[in-house]
Amino acid sequence: MKTITFNQKKTSQIALEFDELIPDEVYSWEKADFEKYMVPIGNSRFPLTDYFDIEVEGSAESPEEIKMILNGDYGRVKYIGTKMGAGEIIVNGPVDLHCGSQMKGGSILVNGDAESYAGREMEGGSLTIMGNTREFCGCSYIGDWRGMNGGTITIHGNAGKQLGECLSGGSIYVKGDCDILAGIHMTKGFIQIDGDVTRWPGGQMKNGDIVINGELGRLLEGFVQQEIVENPEIDGKDFSGKYIKYTGDIALNGKGRLWLDAEKNRHLLY
Amino acid sequence: MANYEPPVTDYESIVENCTCAFCGCNCDDLDYLIKDGHVVGVRHACRLGASKIMEDMDQRLLVPMIRGEDGELAETDWDSALDKAAELIAGAVRPIFYGWSETSIETMHHGLELGELVGAVLDNQATICHGPSLQAVQNAGYPISTLGEVKNRADMCLYTGSNAMNSHPRHMARYSTFPRGYFRPRGRFDRTVVTLDPKYSDTAKMSDIWVGFEQNGDYEFYNAIRAVLKGKKLQKEFISGIPKEDVEELAEAMKNVQFGALFFGLGLTHTLSKQRNIDIAIQMVADLNSYTKWILMPMRGHFNVNGFNIFMAFETGFPYGVDFARGYQRYMNGETNTIDLLTRKECDVFMVIAADPGAHYPGGAVKHLAEIPVIQVDIHWGPSTEIADVVLPGSFVGVEVGGTSYRMDGVPIWMKKAIDKPETCRDDEWIIKEILERVKKIKAEQGALASK
Amino acid sequence: MEYVLKNGIVYDPANKVAGEKKDVMFKDGKIVDSVSADAKVLDVTDKIVMPAGIDPHAHVAGPKLVVGRIYRPEDSRKGVTHKTDILRSESGFSIPSCPSTGYRYSRMGYGTVVEAAVPPLEAKHTHEEINSTPNLDIVPLSLFGNNWFVLQYAKQNQIEDLAGFIAAWLRLAKCYGVKIVNPCGSEAWGWGMNVHGLDDPAPYWDVTGREVVTALAKANEMLGLPHSVHVHPNDLGHPGNYPTTVSTMEALKDIEKNSTVRGQTMHLTHAQFHAYGGTSWRDADSGADYIADYVNNNDHVTIDVGQVTLDETTTMTADAPMEFDLYKLSGLKWANKDVELETAAGIVPVIYSGKAPVNSLQWAIGLELFLKVNDPWKVCLTTDHPNAGPFIRYPRIISWLMSNERRQEMMDNREVHPWSHRRTSLASLEREYDFNEIATITRAGPAKIYGFQDRGALTPGFNADIAVFDINPNDIDPSRNHEAIEKGFSSAMYTIKDGEILVKDGEIVKVVKSHTLWTDVKGMEEQEKRVMDRVMPDFTKYYTIKFENYQVHDKYLPNPIVTEVQAGK
Ligand code: SF4
Ligand SMILES: [Zn+2]
Repeated sequence: MKTITFNQKKTSQIALEFDELIPDEVYSWEKADFEKYMVPIGNSRFPLTDYFDIEVEGSAESPEEIKMILNGDYGRVKYIGTKMGAGEIIVNGPVDLHCGSQMKGGSILVNGDAESYAGREMEGGSLTIMGNTREFCGCSYIGDWRGMNGGTITIHGNAGKQLGECLSGGSIYVKGDCDILAGIHMTKGFIQIDGDVTRWPGGQMKNGDIVINGELGRLLEGFVQQEIVENPEIDGKDFSGKYIKYTGDIALNGKGRLWLDAEKNRHLLY
Repeated sequence: MANYEPPVTDYESIVENCTCAFCGCNCDDLDYLIKDGHVVGVRHACRLGASKIMEDMDQRLLVPMIRGEDGELAETDWDSALDKAAELIAGAVRPIFYGWSETSIETMHHGLELGELVGAVLDNQATICHGPSLQAVQNAGYPISTLGEVKNRADMCLYTGSNAMNSHPRHMARYSTFPRGYFRPRGRFDRTVVTLDPKYSDTAKMSDIWVGFEQNGDYEFYNAIRAVLKGKKLQKEFISGIPKEDVEELAEAMKNVQFGALFFGLGLTHTLSKQRNIDIAIQMVADLNSYTKWILMPMRGHFNVNGFNIFMAFETGFPYGVDFARGYQRYMNGETNTIDLLTRKECDVFMVIAADPGAHYPGGAVKHLAEIPVIQVDIHWGPSTEIADVVLPGSFVGVEVGGTSYRMDGVPIWMKKAIDKPETCRDDEWIIKEILERVKKIKAEQGALASK
Repeated sequence: MEYVLKNGIVYDPANKVAGEKKDVMFKDGKIVDSVSADAKVLDVTDKIVMPAGIDPHAHVAGPKLVVGRIYRPEDSRKGVTHKTDILRSESGFSIPSCPSTGYRYSRMGYGTVVEAAVPPLEAKHTHEEINSTPNLDIVPLSLFGNNWFVLQYAKQNQIEDLAGFIAAWLRLAKCYGVKIVNPCGSEAWGWGMNVHGLDDPAPYWDVTGREVVTALAKANEMLGLPHSVHVHPNDLGHPGNYPTTVSTMEALKDIEKNSTVRGQTMHLTHAQFHAYGGTSWRDADSGADYIADYVNNNDHVTIDVGQVTLDETTTMTADAPMEFDLYKLSGLKWANKDVELETAAGIVPVIYSGKAPVNSLQWAIGLELFLKVNDPWKVCLTTDHPNAGPFIRYPRIISWLMSNERRQEMMDNREVHPWSHRRTSLASLEREYDFNEIATITRAGPAKIYGFQDRGALTPGFNADIAVFDINPNDIDPSRNHEAIEKGFSSAMYTIKDGEILVKDGEIVKVVKSHTLWTDVKGMEEQEKRVMDRVMPDFTKYYTIKFENYQVHDKYLPNPIVTEVQAGK
């Protein structure tokens, strides 16, 4: 095992980009390698050590044996864990855009909030955000109809707009509330929201499951109420209680399933 | 008619077939009446166009300026101003070159080369207007046509989120509603005009049908139309405030035309569900094509806003908000766009070319602009001048200098020159090229130093 | 500057040089037969030397391309590379940016590309993109098959006026030749309809595809243009369409050729998409035999194939109704771009997969066409880029054509679905192309088909457009080494254009501006004037742009190469 610890010295107004600092790239690096490393900021590169004290302990033969602990405010550090395939990253603080995007394996734990595009196009591994996340968590790259297709995202706080946009596999859990259009254009996969949802989950969805355990504000006409199911099994998981099951979005002959807690969503029954 | 103005009779010559450098209609049928080297009258243009073309010389930027220690803009010579601009750009870490929608493609070529050289973000007004439309296009598709298809064939014109009568005054007259087309010989009488807009706008007043759905109700409304097109009976009595019978009737009417054209404006992109309103409207148009012919088109604002998107796409693969910081292009909404970079206070040098960033920017972005060096290339004194550190007076494309532009429907137009520019001004193309040359020189010197 | 390419193995089919060890010399941008002792020697001992490649049909510049690039950032992102000291950064896989297009063709040893579909109203756009595409000469063809004026001339059978119209419009749009796409079908798409077959009239115009193709072909020959009509027939992509294709060829059989520089009166493009049997995709099978037989038995037709490469790509064609059908099949995003009075266009992403029965069938039909047309001068290598796949796959197609073993292997190990051999005769075709045939279908043949008099051969006086590949033809068995063949043709050892070395060892070492080829017809002044008098009132009424602003000014062609043609001569 090798533990790499970043302790922040100062922050930057212009974001740093961490796409080259993933376990897959740095597992063999020693302290001196980090000290040589120039981190991209805007159109230039600056010494990483201007911004962080870095400690390296232990040794590693492969990325799996890497644990990176990032202490401080990473609200201006983009692409943390982008494309990582193995190892572990723990951020003790907030993170900027694209945390865990295109991640293939390993795990990221964010003890703070995450900016937009967390877990974009994720293929595997797990991303846990203890705070809130903004828009487009677990989405696709713009224009692509294939979004996140594997792995798990767990958000302990609230999620912003268009969560799981174009989701085509994997699971997203939101413990808090969620804004509009969760699962828009989704074709496969699973979204569970325990809190309340403002409007229009599942717009233009073709397939997959969305479970809402809180209250939903507004539902689209594209969803057709099917039945009330007690203790349903959804995406291989057991749920207890009564759920209203809808299918949609029929605007595009979608076969997606939207499950609403029946108690909290009586107002939507017809 | 209170504002009747007698026609201009005192002119020396006429230049015909000039192109209006104002809105995305790019009307290319204007006659400029010239006297003493000035445009003294414009025939065929609408008020917006005419007043832009017969520019107010009081507001004209005529000489290069640099803001001094005292905080005041002071006149200077071209060399000093260009050197100053080049020095700022060469030293920037996160420069943005913004605007471009009111200049020529020829100018953009040099701007792009400069951006690639220093690793800048190149962006245009799409970032604050039709950016969401382009994102929707990228998600859902782009079924468009040239405006002549609408003129010759359309029997239904539908405006949504657009008050065309005010923003694009000749759009209905020249392209969509009123003109006589090959298959629509009676013009207006051969067409049904529909406006979908929460407000009863001037365009709505000109329409046969007005559907005033509730604010922020767009997405739900289009979803319901699509559901009806798929044969679903609507459940709710009212959809976004509109009785379900009316929704069903409209869907039926749209199915039964021969050629429908949906024009959408910023109203549709700037509500709660933003790009998804366009996204679903595009899919609705695609659905309708299973029954009959429909096209759609964004009502692009400036005369070359589409041109910049087209130019950037063929040069770099991405239409706007293109970031060269890392030595290759990146395009990421929310990250490589002007507004995000300004509100996040990341940008450190801002060059604005023929645009007015202040007007539509959120407060935070404007505040940041006041704190960083700003280089302005423009013909008019404006809000950008107030915050500019270097002012470079350009010339007027389509009047004082020729240039290529792309109309809202993608039709390319050579906008010819009609008069000479003021002697002290320079063409945008020349200005940007000069900056480029000077930055190249600085970079070469830096390179030589570094290799020593 | 003088150069000698020393000791290469030369394939120059136009000069009947097939694998001879000899030197190729050039001076001041032209091939010469001798140089002075000062000439710079480039040692290419035992390497393949050919004229630079000529792509006779691709979509590389213009409004359709840009719609594709605007609405497929996910494709643009795929090919992004870092800039270098001489190269700009690249982007795109199936729809590369203009600079990327130039670089990538150049790396493969190509020097000339035909842009196959220019709507005159937006020709300036195409020319702007051509100017942004380095290292290539580009040959734009203008769309005529659904033009309202053409429909009227064709209906009234006014061939001379139609010829005048073509002459005038080639000059207005600065294009090289006449392209016809789904004649009458794209006009029908103005109403969301299509035509079916050659005799289904365009709604309202009362004129058929047969009449339009025939009239345009006659007018083309009356003018004696360097290229024949370039035809994308009706019913593209529909099972059971081969009879339409055959009748289109038959319709032009008796038209007399008026050209000494080419052999054909019709070029059938992307024949693969027009060679389907059956009645639906359920029972579709190959119609390649019918097309190949016709081409083998008649000398008035040449074809290019439009080979499916089994990639995710972007389809784009003026055959807009077909694109809408594709969209309904795939459900992916649909773009469309109709152009007033002239044409339509559709754009849809497509994923061609060897797992898919239909795609595998298409793959096999394309290869059948290559292998069944006996005379390599009658068939050209294309993918109808980007429709059946991106042009960067040409080397892979070459490797398939040169290796029966590889083709069988793909069918055996299910890289392609069994429909590839169950519904075609591909498995029984043992023919393998040799290097000379490859040089013919990628260089000499296309040059002849376009009547080029300055390229496509290593003839003294011709442009020094030359490609050298790091393959020793005497020391490789292409049948067994498909990977080496693909690799060899992917990155040229040298690409030389107008005597300048642009590529060395697969890397671009120099970037030059492209040229634009167009045809200026002389001797039709009277007819052109008559045509303009007739056309102008309608032009003014129905176009949305002023005539003055419609034409392509010379400024859009900074490096033109003009072919002057005396009409009727
Ligand atoms: S509609 Fe637009 S382009 Fe036309 S004259 Fe008015 S402002 Fe100018
Ligand atoms: Zn084609």
